[in-house]
Amino acid sequence: MIEDLFLIEKQSYRESHIHSLDARVKILVAFAAIIAVVSVPYSTAVYTVGAIFFIFFAVLWALSRLPVSVYFWRLAMVLPFGIFIIFFQIFFENRYYEVFHPIVTLPLNIHIYAESVQFASILLVKFLVCISFIILLSSTTRMQHLLEGAGRLGFPPEFALILGMMIRYLFVFAYMYRKVTESLETRCFDPFNRVVPWKYRVRMLGYTIGTMFIRAYEQGERTYLAMLCRGYGKDSHLYVTKKAIKGYEWAFLAASFALIISTPVLVWTGIVNFF
Amino acid sequence: MHIPDGFIPITQGIIYWIIALVFIALALRWARKELSEEKVPIVAVLAAAIFALQAFNLPVGMGTSGHLVGGALAAIVLGSPFAAVFILSIVLIIQGVIFGDGGLTTMGVNIINMGVIGGFVGFYGYTGIKAVIKNPYVSAGIAAWFACLIPALAASVELWVAGTFPLVPGLIAMGTYHAAIGIIEGVVTAAAVYLIIHARPDLMDIKTGAAV
Repeated sequence: MIEDLFLIEKQSYRESHIHSLDARVKILVAFAAIIAVVSVPYSTAVYTVGAIFFIFFAVLWALSRLPVSVYFWRLAMVLPFGIFIIFFQIFFENRYYEVFHPIVTLPLNIHIYAESVQFASILLVKFLVCISFIILLSSTTRMQHLLEGAGRLGFPPEFALILGMMIRYLFVFAYMYRKVTESLETRCFDPFNRVVPWKYRVRMLGYTIGTMFIRAYEQGERTYLAMLCRGYGKDSHLYVTKKAIKGYEWAFLAASFALIISTPVLVWTGIVNFF
Repeated sequence: MHIPDGFIPITQGIIYWIIALVFIALALRWARKELSEEKVPIVAVLAAAIFALQAFNLPVGMGTSGHLVGGALAAIVLGSPFAAVFILSIVLIIQGVIFGDGGLTTMGVNIINMGVIGGFVGFYGYTGIKAVIKNPYVSAGIAAWFACLIPALAASVELWVAGTFPLVPGLIAMGTYHAAIGIIEGVVTAAAVYLIIHARPDLMDIKTGAAV
């Protein structure tokens, strides 16, 4: 996953109206959208809410001028586990329906139920909308800005310091990971080469991982000493400058929240329903 | 086993978040007390390293591949289950918010599974098994295997409580898969612990009992 770090960060360095929005605004909108979608009970109301939210996301994505391929690439990266649960859902009964009607009967008394297919699709909608907003947030906001934004929103400063260091060193270790894997390759070491005994391959990988752990620890020690030299102490924390949210950012935030809150309410009360 | 958003109802998500926050607070307190207050940066750097270590594609055998979770390794080397809670919480925040692996409303449950359960099982599994068999490497391996398997089983129980996956098929599917993946986690953790004990014996926090 760390291999994709540079590509993700590269996207967030582009320029657009969405990229230039204050990180706080983007964090609040993305988190609110996710919480709103998750809060909608497992019912067909999710379809309409999901559709409206997805259109909202698509508009923001278009405004960010990021290629659609980036979205699909990032989606493919995180789908497997969720898709696994969603796919197998169709064979099981769940507690959200009273009666189950088999639509397909397979050998070994396995059934595919109409209700379970519907439930699986509800899960899929929730899953996709939530992932989309996270992708939008991290593709349009630099990690450092996210951290500062979180700090301004009241994220504990000492925890922000730790997270900030983690982010900074994430890139160092992404490089190290790349160098280590490249050097393994130049030595023609393939972890999946069956000609080489499994025991040997795993031992080498174990040592590589152990070495990286030690290197990280030593890097940590050096960093810590360097920080001490620069006056770091137990009361140090990440200093985040004050920054005002501009008028148009307030307007965007207000409009987004109005949409995010009113959509589930209107759908739940039956005033709006697409499906 | 990162549970994504939408698979746990919001109310349960909040409960898991509160439990996770309690453990994060305890881990922060551990870091301040045990790491002599200022050494916290080392843990932050290690968290970044654990993230990189998780990227290695490891051969499980029979054409399957797996990757490390690393909680057991961190807990064993740093000598406290809270090391795993601390490190994996940071890793899961980054994975959830930047990469979209895991989720926001489910971050609490993921921290509980991989950080808290994984860390505690890894650490106490290691000390318990080592007290009996006296071999730190085999103990680390077995403990890491459990630290991979038990959080996966916990995840299937949580999905069952959430009503999004039935219990028995979930336990079977998640259990079998992670029991297999756990083998590589165990073997690689054992090898890494072996290397760390021999290369930097001062780094391991607990008395290993190994001839260095």
